[in-house]
Amino acid sequence: MSDKERIKALIREVEIYRKQGLLEESKEKYEEILKFLQGHERYSKDKKLIEALQRKIRAVEKTLDEIESAPETPEISQEVHALIRRLFSFSENQDTAVMEGAIALAKFGQYDEAIRAFQDLIQEGIMPLVAAKNALMCHVTLSSPDAAITQFKQWLSQETFSTKELRYLRSTLGDYFAKRGITADLPQVSEPIPGEVQEKEEEVIIDISSFVVQWEHGPRAGQRTEFDVSFQSGNKISAILPAQQEDLVAVLEPGLQLSEIEYFSPIAVFKGKGTISGMKKISSGPKRGDYSLDMTVEIE
Amino acid sequence: MNLNTIEMCEPQLERKGSRNIVGCMALFNVKDRVIECKLVYYGPGRSGKTTNLEFIFKAGKKYTKSDMVSINTKGDRTLFFDFLPLGLGKIRGCDVKVQLYTMPGQAKYSSTRKLVLKNVDGVVFVADSLEIQRKENIVSLKDLEQNLAAQNIDIFKIPLVIQYNKRDLGDQGLPIMPIELMEQDLNSKLKAPSFEASAVKGKGVGDSLKKCLVLTLRHLQKELKWTQ
Repeated sequence: MSDKERIKALIREVEIYRKQGLLEESKEKYEEILKFLQGHERYSKDKKLIEALQRKIRAVEKTLDEIESAPETPEISQEVHALIRRLFSFSENQDTAVMEGAIALAKFGQYDEAIRAFQDLIQEGIMPLVAAKNALMCHVTLSSPDAAITQFKQWLSQETFSTKELRYLRSTLGDYFAKRGITADLPQVSEPIPGEVQEKEEEVIIDISSFVVQWEHGPRAGQRTEFDVSFQSGNKISAILPAQQEDLVAVLEPGLQLSEIEYFSPIAVFKGKGTISGMKKISSGPKRGDYSLDMTVEIE
Repeated sequence: MNLNTIEMCEPQLERKGSRNIVGCMALFNVKDRVIECKLVYYGPGRSGKTTNLEFIFKAGKKYTKSDMVSINTKGDRTLFFDFLPLGLGKIRGCDVKVQLYTMPGQAKYSSTRKLVLKNVDGVVFVADSLEIQRKENIVSLKDLEQNLAAQNIDIFKIPLVIQYNKRDLGDQGLPIMPIELMEQDLNSKLKAPSFEASAVKGKGVGDSLKKCLVLTLRHLQKELKWTQ
């Protein structure tokens, strides 16, 4: 193949890469061709050809810049917002599903819409604390720490949350700022006035789907083991321990307290403790031979 | 209660309840005999995932339940996902509905990739046959394996089909990889069914989808026992 044919073939190749949207690759190829031409005894004198190639490289760079500078999260319609909320909520529990949909909006960068969704959840009393926390995170990501503080101040002046919940939200926001080196002046949550009737705080029972134990002692010290929850009643959960993990049966005696546990629920992950309340070998059914482990989730 | 939520995290599959059966991602409505399952088209950026769905949408009008939804960037790259719902009619007494998704192939959209892959039942891995994309294919397959593992799904057990797309570019004189090399790179251990394709011409698209559907429905049949 002559040099001329080789150059033509390379340019044809690059044009197809460009049409395919492989812009970085096409730019690299153009630069490869340019280098070849500039080092060639004959073609290095062909100014027209070299300039034409340089123009092509600039055009690809311009397109790349436009793509890079385009908004990461474009405006999308309300219909698509609704679709995201529907497609990315997985729970059968309606309240949890609505929360999952709001979180999905945030994960797709639709923070304004997510904040609106979280505000609705707070108004409707659906996991208001979780919704409030997520709304604050959205404010910080979308605008600034000040936006989150403004939102928090708003809640302080309203009766949406109890004093304890407001302290929790303040603490969460403070931890978030501290981890990111953000200095912010968070308003204090005042003590309740003596004699003031405090709202009875309902215990938040989270639906736990699985948990992970970080072993500190014993044969699996330093390792992590995940258990799927098969049954839950309040803060008491049951999990299946496969027969292959019989080494854990001796370890997980009733009364044992596990202090390093991550609990996974449909909408959040949280740390806590647990106390083993029972261990029984399953004698019939599809799980025959496995063990049923009972545990009480520690609520602080 | 001291609720130390670590982060706004992706929802976990709810494993209890009468509708979702433990160990299975698809939804099986026992009362109405409806099965809904989710297939995701995975692969490196610009490999042809969206083109696959566009062809299915155009060619399979009698199966499509509504318009295809695409959320793109400038430059027509998938930003969030493409979505196409299909209704396949009755199979063994059950109404079978399939949701097809593609996800963004570029590395920087990793977190939304994980969300789109949530609760997947079957995967079509669209590999790019161009030689310059060899490394991207391998990296993307590894990414798929890791994202599946994060959901406790073994890539060796999920219904998976591999599509070697853009085979037509070889006829245009472009350097493409031989099938043997792509099989060695991507399928030497998985041993998944694989198809040559040219999504832009529609070749291999239907075959890949059909095979993935068959594998998925067989897998669900075993898991859900829906023909009993």
